[in-house]
Amino acid sequence: MQHENEITLEKQGDVTIMDIKGDITAFSDPFLNNAYQEANNQGTRKIILKSNKEAYINSGGIALLIQLLAQIKRNNQRVVIAGISDHFKKIFNMVGITKFAPIYDTEEAALQILAAETE
Amino acid sequence: MTTNLNERMVKIILPNILGYERIAMASSASFAKMFGFSFERIEDLKTIVAEAAINAMQHGNKGCTDSLVTVTIRFKDNAIHVAVTDQGDGIAEVPPKPDINRIMNQLDPPVGFGVFLIQELADGVEFNLDTDNGHCVNIVVKKDSNQVEDAARK
Repeated sequence: MQHENEITLEKQGDVTIMDIKGDITAFSDPFLNNAYQEANNQGTRKIILKSNKEAYINSGGIALLIQLLAQIKRNNQRVVIAGISDHFKKIFNMVGITKFAPIYDTEEAALQILAAETE
Repeated sequence: MTTNLNERMVKIILPNILGYERIAMASSASFAKMFGFSFERIEDLKTIVAEAAINAMQHGNKGCTDSLVTVTIRFKDNAIHVAVTDQGDGIAEVPPKPDINRIMNQLDPPVGFGVFLIQELADGVEFNLDTDNGHCVNIVVKKDSNQVEDAARK
């Protein structure tokens, strides 16, 4: 069974978009960590975690995302989430993720907010 | 729960392999669609079934690849009744609601989300039911539920 994510990093000004392809589960650990390390190496301060409306996200994936958000917070970086389905918006709200990473419907909306912020 | 399958009851038997919960998710979604559940409620059901199956694989069967997980889905009284059976001993106690503030500050481990989501999204959950075939979790998902909207607003 395929348990792989392809995560691409795209710089838009001072914002890094982490575009996560595939489902987010416990198997996503190395892919998320490697992508975040690469973004760190590029000196990023603002991150958009982008997924898509078809992605399956389970409790293992939620645990990983929270650990990633905790790392981002410790590094004093700014993070938002974009592109997930309404169902997972509800789930992220229930779990409390939205207290640490607001969710925007699209990458464009997230980019607009982050690009307008000054550190 | 009776094992007689009919037009209102199906059974899915899964190998104890993470990822195969998707089979039960897809089956339960198709089943719920047949009984007129809304898209939103089907999404809730998919998460509930996935998390219950994952718990059965990881905690019930303790990852043992020889074990099985059985998911029985029945439509009754305008609700879907899900029974997820594993071959373990059940859970000693239901984990507390995860505290994201404590997890973010590395005071708690990032665990307990599966049970939490099941409790929040379902209309009723019973853990630790012993059956002839092992340990079972029974879950009720009503066709129309205000509980989920209330939970999402908390």
